[in-house]
Order: sequence, then C-alpha cells, then structure tokens
Amino acid sequence: MSAAAARPLVTVQSLESDMATDGAAANSVPLPDVMRAAIRPDIVTFVHGQISKNARQPYAVSNRAGHQTSAESWGTGRAVSRIPRVAGGGTHRAGQGAFGNMCRGGRMFAPTKIWRRWHRQVNVTQKRHAVVSAIAASAVPSLVLARGHKIEEVPELPLVVSDAAEAVEKTSAALKVLKQIGAHPDAEKAKDSQAIRAGKGKARNRRYVSRKGPLVVYGNEGAKLVKAFRNIPGVEIAHVSRLNLLKLAPGGHLGRFVIWTKYAFEKLDSIYGTFDKVSEKKNGYVLPRAKMINADLARIINSDEVQSVVKPIKKEVKKAPLKKNPLKNLNVMLKLNPYAKAAKRMALLAEAQRVKAKQDKLDKKRKPITKIITYFCCLSMHLRFWVYLYFIGSLLLVSQSRASLMQPGWKLPCPVYLSHSVICLLQEEASAINSASKSWYKTMISDSDYTEFENFTKWLGASQ
Amino acid sequence: MATVPGQLIWEIVKKNNSFLVKEFGNGTASVKFSKEPNNLYNLHSYKHSGLANKKTVTIQPGKDQSVLLATTKTKKQNKPSTLLNKSLMKKEFNRMAKAVVNQVADNHYRPDLKKAALARLSVVNRSLKVSKSGAKKKNRQRL
Repeated sequence: MSAAAARPLVTVQSLESDMATDGAAANSVPLPDVMRAAIRPDIVTFVHGQISKNARQPYAVSNRAGHQTSAESWGTGRAVSRIPRVAGGGTHRAGQGAFGNMCRGGRMFAPTKIWRRWHRQVNVTQKRHAVVSAIAASAVPSLVLARGHKIEEVPELPLVVSDAAEAVEKTSAALKVLKQIGAHPDAEKAKDSQAIRAGKGKARNRRYVSRKGPLVVYGNEGAKLVKAFRNIPGVEIAHVSRLNLLKLAPGGHLGRFVIWTKYAFEKLDSIYGTFDKVSEKKNGYVLPRAKMINADLARIINSDEVQSVVKPIKKEVKKAPLKKNPLKNLNVMLKLNPYAKAAKRMALLAEAQRVKAKQDKLDKKRKPITKIITYFCCLSMHLRFWVYLYFIGSLLLVSQSRASLMQPGWKLPCPVYLSHSVICLLQEEASAINSASKSWYKTMISDSDYTEFENFTKWLGASQ
Repeated sequence: MATVPGQLIWEIVKKNNSFLVKEFGNGTASVKFSKEPNNLYNLHSYKHSGLANKKTVTIQPGKDQSVLLATTKTKKQNKPSTLLNKSLMKKEFNRMAKAVVNQVADNHYRPDLKKAALARLSVVNRSLKVSKSGAKKKNRQRL
C-alpha cells in the first residue's frame, strides 16, 4: 500500500433522479483504507465457520426416550439373550428387548443433549479482521467474479451509488436503479436460480434455494431503500455500522458483490479507521497490517534493486560426467596421479628384468646341452658310445683332480673319431656340470639351514 | 487501486472458484479446467488464469460467424464494464491469425500466450464453420 499518498478516487454512479451534478470532483470519493486491508481467506473461513454456529437452535432426543419401560433381564438359562426384556404379558410388547441401542424401541446410543456447546466464541479482533478482509475482497473484481457474481457490466468496483438511491421507495424503482448501475445481471442470476432444495431439507422448512445477488449497503438509519430492495430476489441489505460477515462472505467465500451508497462509503473510514488513525466507532481499533506491504512478487523480482544483485541465469546446466574407474582406466588414473605412468613403466621394466634374471639364473643352473645333444643325436651308435665314455671319463677326472681344471687343454686318451671341438665342448660340459652340482649342494645346505648337519653326516658316515 | 497482485489473487482463487471444473481422473488426480472467458486453454493454472492476471487475452465466437478478440486493459482493472479492448474479426483465417499474433505477441502484451491464442483461434473458427454447415451427418445407409 503506497502509504499516505495516492488514495485512488472512486466515482459515484449517478442515477436518473440526481440533480445536476457539479463536475467530477463532487462525484468521486476517495477509497477508504478498509478496502486495502490484508485479504485473509484463512481468517475469514475460520471466523465464518465459528460465527455461523451461533444462530443454531439446540436439538436433542427426548430425555426419557427408550426408558419408559420397566424391563428387566431374564438372566441366563432361558435360551434367550440377556438383554433386558419388557415385563408383563398379554401384548406383543411383552418379552421384547428394551433399553439397548440395538433394540427396537430402545434408546439410541449417546442420546443427543441440549447442553451441547452450540455457540462459539470468537475474539473480537479476529471477527473484525475477517469483516475487514471481506470488505477488501469485495473491491477486487477477480475475487467477486471468482465467487460467481455477474459483474461484467458494472462500471466500477467498488460500486458506489449516489445518495439518491437511499430515497428509493418502490421496488420497481429499485429494479431500475439496479439496471442503471449494471447490477441487474447479478440479481437476475439470483432470480433464475431459485429451485427446490435437494434432500430432506425441503420437508424441513428449507424448501427453496437460490444464489446470492448483490448486497446493498446504506448509511442512513431508516432509509426507504430497505423496503424497496428487500423484496428483490437475491438482493440483501445492510447498514454500514452493522456489516455481517455471513453476508459479506457467504459460505466463507470472499468476494460478495457489494453496492455502496455514497453516505455509507464515506462512513467506512470512521467506522474502521485507517492504518494510522484509530477507528472512531470501534474503541482503539486499527486496521490490521499485512505481512507483506508489497505482495507483487513479479514486480519485486524484476525490480532494479533485486536484479542488480542477483547472479545471472545459468543457461548451461553442467551435467556430471560419468565416473570412470581409475583402477581400470589408465587415462583417468593419470588425471588423478600423473606419477602413475612412470611408476607403471618402472614396474613393467623391473618385472621384465626380474623375469629375465630368473630365467638366466635358471638357464645357468640348468644349462641345457643343446649343441651336444643335437650333435650326439647325429652321431652313429658307434660314435655315441665313445662320446658317452669320454664324457663320463672326463667327469670322473674332473671330480678327482680339480686342480687339473686350471690347466687348459689337458688331455684324455681318446679315439680320433671325436673332433677337437667336440672334445672341448665335452670337457667344458663336464666341468660346468661338476661346478653346478657343487654349488647346488652348497645352496642345498645353506638353504635348508640344516643345523644338525653334523649329526646327519655322522649318521650317514659320509665325509666331506 | 493498489490491486491485490496476481499472485495473491491466485492463492485465494486456486483452491476454489465458481469457474473451476474438475473432471476425469479419480479423486485428487482429476484434471482441473476453468470456465472463465479470459482463459485461453480453459486450464486452471496461474499462467492461463483470467482472474489472476492483469493482462489477459480472450478469443470467443462473436455474433454472426465472427470471432471476438479481446484483451484486458491494464489501467482499468477495477472497472469491469470497460475492462476489455474488444474487436470483432470477420476476416479470413490468415488475416485473423496475423491480427491475433500482432495483438498478443508483437505488442509484447503476453508473448507467452501466443501459441495458446492461435490454437484457440483455429478451434473457434472451426466451430463456427461447423455451426454454419451443421454437424457431420453420418450416412447411415448401408452402401
């Protein structure tokens, strides 16, 4: 609400009977602050619900209903249920069940009592808040439309009529007034909607239902307009100082179509006060404040103050990429740990080296005699025998005289058949085998960590 | 008048109003339609609502096979009788479509309603043609 300034003007609709009016200024009234109060459908619904309970008349079932018998239970042993049964005889009623809610002719469950709490108390401020909200809502065309009134032809909301309307005496004249101000479609709608109520209510003195038409609010006591308007179907009348929430928000729904007379409209300010000024008629009452002074969210969001501070819209939404497992995906691993490449390379090389070294070691130890074997296989049986002999001999020689190993080219008597290279090879082979077996023997000892070797040798009787 | 802004009106109106129609579906899953004249899709939603918005567009059949295009004036919110800028259109469809687009989108009036306005225009137009020539008569004679 723009505070003190800008109280928009509401033009007063003039009627035929009006005297010559003097210019627009006389024909407009500033909008009373009531019409700008906070609109609170929640408060209105609550208060309306509570207030509508206040016109109730108590109903109850008769006090004595169902108990006007002297029934007693027959007890057990008579092949009947234990319900109290009517005493006596000679009539249908004798022996029938009584008193229970399940019995025919018995009392009901929880008989309704007149001392039920029929009326509700509502705080005065709450009641006033609701009325104020309802008045404010009646000034919003959307809400009045939403409630279902036909206001397309109404020249302005809130609809203020000149005071000449208060003097209207005849209903026909009243109808004319309505037509002039564009309220006739609404009254017509009410008239057309008269129908017999659906349900039992029609038999309970609530036979007809119809829609609600306009509410005419006047300011002067004893205005003739009351009598003129009251017979028009759908139209209701109220005095400004006695505005009823049940009329302003029928059914708890905001937005009744209200027709104000000029006098009534001007009185509103004094009855309800303004946001700053205390009401004259209601002791110490000030109009309730809204939670948000400016509830126009769109304007707030698009305002300079907000937009200048707000971050720009993210047009491109960043989507999270699929997570790849670094343990399986090399590139992702490198992204996380660049050293991994070097480490892996070194590991591979080391592995290769290790394998090679092991293989070499084994080869050295095993020394497959590929040359000799192939050569051996090529030789004839005769020659093979000699080679074999020579080989064993050299082995024996080598084992006996290790010193002779130092001398290259020591000789064994051998037949001519074997070439020199073969002999050398054989000799090399033999010495290699010998040294290999010796070292193996040594490793066997050292590997086995055989602590009781002394015992073992004694036991074996072998000597080193 | 410090008009109650659209958002506030919507909060009040969205739960229940005289134009609300709930059809189809079961219980809470029903589709919510709205019978307001200013609603282009007849859907009950803030964007399309004729009650909660200051600027609305309405396209309806007018008199004698013409289409009525109306927009609400922003300055006259509380004067219901003079709220609408009405214009009856009786041209051929393309011309009418152009006029609609001009009013709704090119003016920057309610560019988000352009598609809805055009859709409604074509439907209304078709319904007028149908009403003129009568509904399709099924040939019930066996061939």
